Amino acid sequence: MKKIFYGSAALCLTTFLAACGNDEAETNSSTKTEGVSGTIDFYTSQPDADAQGLVDAFKKQNPEVEISIFRSGTEEVVSKIQAENQGGDIQADVLLVADSVTFENFKAEELLLSYESPEAESIDDAFVDPDGTYAGTKIMATGMIVNTNKVTEMPDSWMALTDSSTKGQAVMPSPLYSGAAAYNLGVMTRQESLGWEFYESLKANDITITQGNGAVLESVATGEQNYGMIVDFLAARAINDGSPVELIYPKEGVPVITEPVGILANTENEEASKAFVDFILSEEGQQLASEQGYTPIREGVEAPEGLKTLDEMTILDAEAVELLETRNDDKARFGKIFGE
Amino acid sequence: MTAKQPEDRERKKRDSSFSLFFQSKNLYKVIGLLVIFVFFLLPVLRLVWLSFVDDGSLTMQYYTEVLNEPATWKTVKNTLIVVFGSTILALVLGILFSWLVAYVELSGKKAMQLFIFLPFVIPSYITTLAWTQFFSASGPVTAMLSWLPGDLKAPNLYSIGGIILLLGISHYPLVYLFTVNVFRKIPRELEEAAATSGLSKKRTFWKIVMPLALPGIASGGLIAFLSNLDNFGIPAFLGTPANIRVLSTYIYEQVVGFGPSAFSRAAVLSVILGVIALAGTILQWFLLRRSRVNETNRSDSTPRIYLSAGKKKLLEASLWVFLLVTSLMPLITMGALSLISAYGVPFKLENLSLRNYEYVFLTDSKPLTALSNSLQLAFFTMIICLIVGTAVAYLRFKYPDWSTKTVELFMTIPYALPGTVFALCMIFMWLEPIPGWNPGIYGTVWILFIAYVTRFLVLQVRGSYTAFLQIDPSMEEAARTSGASGWIKWRQILLPLLFPGIFSGALLVFLMALTELTVSSLLWSSGSETVGVVIFGYEQAGYSTYSTAFSTVLVLGILFGGGMFLLLSRLWDRKVLKKND
Repeated sequence: MKKIFYGSAALCLTTFLAACGNDEAETNSSTKTEGVSGTIDFYTSQPDADAQGLVDAFKKQNPEVEISIFRSGTEEVVSKIQAENQGGDIQADVLLVADSVTFENFKAEELLLSYESPEAESIDDAFVDPDGTYAGTKIMATGMIVNTNKVTEMPDSWMALTDSSTKGQAVMPSPLYSGAAAYNLGVMTRQESLGWEFYESLKANDITITQGNGAVLESVATGEQNYGMIVDFLAARAINDGSPVELIYPKEGVPVITEPVGILANTENEEASKAFVDFILSEEGQQLASEQGYTPIREGVEAPEGLKTLDEMTILDAEAVELLETRNDDKARFGKIFGE
Repeated sequence: MTAKQPEDRERKKRDSSFSLFFQSKNLYKVIGLLVIFVFFLLPVLRLVWLSFVDDGSLTMQYYTEVLNEPATWKTVKNTLIVVFGSTILALVLGILFSWLVAYVELSGKKAMQLFIFLPFVIPSYITTLAWTQFFSASGPVTAMLSWLPGDLKAPNLYSIGGIILLLGISHYPLVYLFTVNVFRKIPRELEEAAATSGLSKKRTFWKIVMPLALPGIASGGLIAFLSNLDNFGIPAFLGTPANIRVLSTYIYEQVVGFGPSAFSRAAVLSVILGVIALAGTILQWFLLRRSRVNETNRSDSTPRIYLSAGKKKLLEASLWVFLLVTSLMPLITMGALSLISAYGVPFKLENLSLRNYEYVFLTDSKPLTALSNSLQLAFFTMIICLIVGTAVAYLRFKYPDWSTKTVELFMTIPYALPGTVFALCMIFMWLEPIPGWNPGIYGTVWILFIAYVTRFLVLQVRGSYTAFLQIDPSMEEAARTSGASGWIKWRQILLPLLFPGIFSGALLVFLMALTELTVSSLLWSSGSETVGVVIFGYEQAGYSTYSTAFSTVLVLGILFGGGMFLLLSRLWDRKVLKKND
């Protein structure tokens, strides 16, 4: 909570400064955003306050642009766009949702515009689509959350979840409901150190499958379970609020989702959409992400307290295209292991 | 139903003499059916269409694929078990409570009625959370069982039984709402007559009371059945850890899948779900055949059964225990969560504050906007449903032929589909109602309004229809012959008799629209946030403490509104009608 107040205070301060030093900002920013106007529809799965903060900061620089936000879960946003596509006319202009595989899916259906933002040069190539249809905006690692009231020895490995001493005490989000969890499944099963055996051992160790990250946090923080797989920023925020939990980045490495952003091919306002994407990837946009409690993706922007920056963690990686191809099979295999 | 034959003869006579009138009547019928088809069935057909099309050519491949998977049949089997189990539970609880409230002399009935509604207005994610904590290893149930001899374990809610229990408890208020007025309207003389002619209490109940109460029971049972069928929250929360799938959760899994076949597979499964829903509706018609109406009574709230003081105390105590566990416990869990600073900190004074409330109502501007949006949406949805639904119910009652039955089936489907699927249908339909023409409904508050009316109209139709079924057709005749013209007839005679049933339907529509979540989460747009969208947003961002704060205020507001209403109606009765309550 404190953090949010400080965060918003800092946000006010930066926007205030940005407003004061407006001339300065315009000469400094490498993007040409003069004269962008019109409306854009921004579809996102970010928390409401964060999406609003992003839009407000952008509008400070581009007062001529109207942005209307549609926020829902990644799955809901994706099905909405698919339904609009079926209905004949996609309404969204800019899309920002959890993981790159979702974008690969839209790319395969040729729904995305190719745009190589100049700002993307300061981002690791691994997180940017070479064809320019999407670029990552944050680093969200999936780590381990542990209840500190119940557990004294903090583990440092994913294997803690498969150890017989933790039998029936762990919880993870279901890949069948959550795109991010399905992404993690695809990445982790492709690692030498983990593979499908890891998930088979999780099953043997009676892990509980739950709906999403929020439910994992609730169940570990309340002590219903002692260990969980969770996206790092949620755990970091709970620690800040005073929940009795600890966040661990296991030594084998962590899968990361990058909340990519992309522009829809049939956008009616290409200029404003491009300016908005540039802003999200720019130094200022990344600074904002850090203030909102996320690890920024751009090199040279510091992570907020309690989270690791990019070069401090070992990243488990896999080809997004390949992950898309096997997504349905991965889910089916997961379903089999966990006994449909 | 019993009025059917004389009605038919009567109509034939009239129709032959006024052939022009007859033609225009048929014309109206066709126009009405067409409008209803466009609003209720076409959106669904656009979804069904997807199950037959692959790359622009017709195919049955999705059906053969889905129907050949063992997972499908396992899911259908689970669904049938869960839906029938929870509907029976809802019926038993609903009938029991409505019978007790209608007939037995108990104190504190008004308060009881408010508590009966609580499970229905508390969001299902809160209900599941509260119950799982209640039954958890560190919860009160386990603690109580440890005092008892033997090695008793708290039942596992993450099971078919748990899903049935929570669905039944969440939906029995629906049965109660439809049934209680019907019980009150059954003439007490009938029971007295039965008693004097030597029928036992039991036989009187089964032979006399039940057949007369069937319209309400069938309507309430049907609505509970459909609600159990489309519910996503409870089976998702309790079924995921136990790998139990039902159709609503399996459809969601398909929808969020990737690739071109995702929607098509979801469409096939939705067709299966639709078939189950229609089967339930037709079964309900079948049951209604046995119902009878033989005279019309005003509802009569004075008790018919008086118990000895000891028995009365015992009954009241056991009812309150049940209500406290099923209604108050989730509310208290929710309230407690909304006061703590973070999940997992002990519930002690130093950890309690109103900070979450402060954030929700002062810092964040969205919740209050959402509340005002939802109240307006719910109010206008209620008004439109009240008018259209009652008109449809009247026609359905007056002319029970194929056309009105078809209309009822059309209207059932939007309510039976899981919210996610229904929202997708709305997008297919209203984005471009005619290909290439976007009227600008989608992406504004209007799409929510249309969606709510389409989805909830059946509730009003059932409420009003139940009320009509309680009226002996001779009443209308009598009114006509004694010279009461259309409007007078309605105002003076019919509406007062119909009011309780119609009001139940309207109340239901209002509450459903006010707290709706799944449909809104796909259809809202900037500026038209609803209560459900804000709660969903907090939940997903991991701010459960905020969402519980908001929900607590909402539920308390509904309770307060209900309390005020009871108070006013009491004053009205005393001051205006000079009745003694």
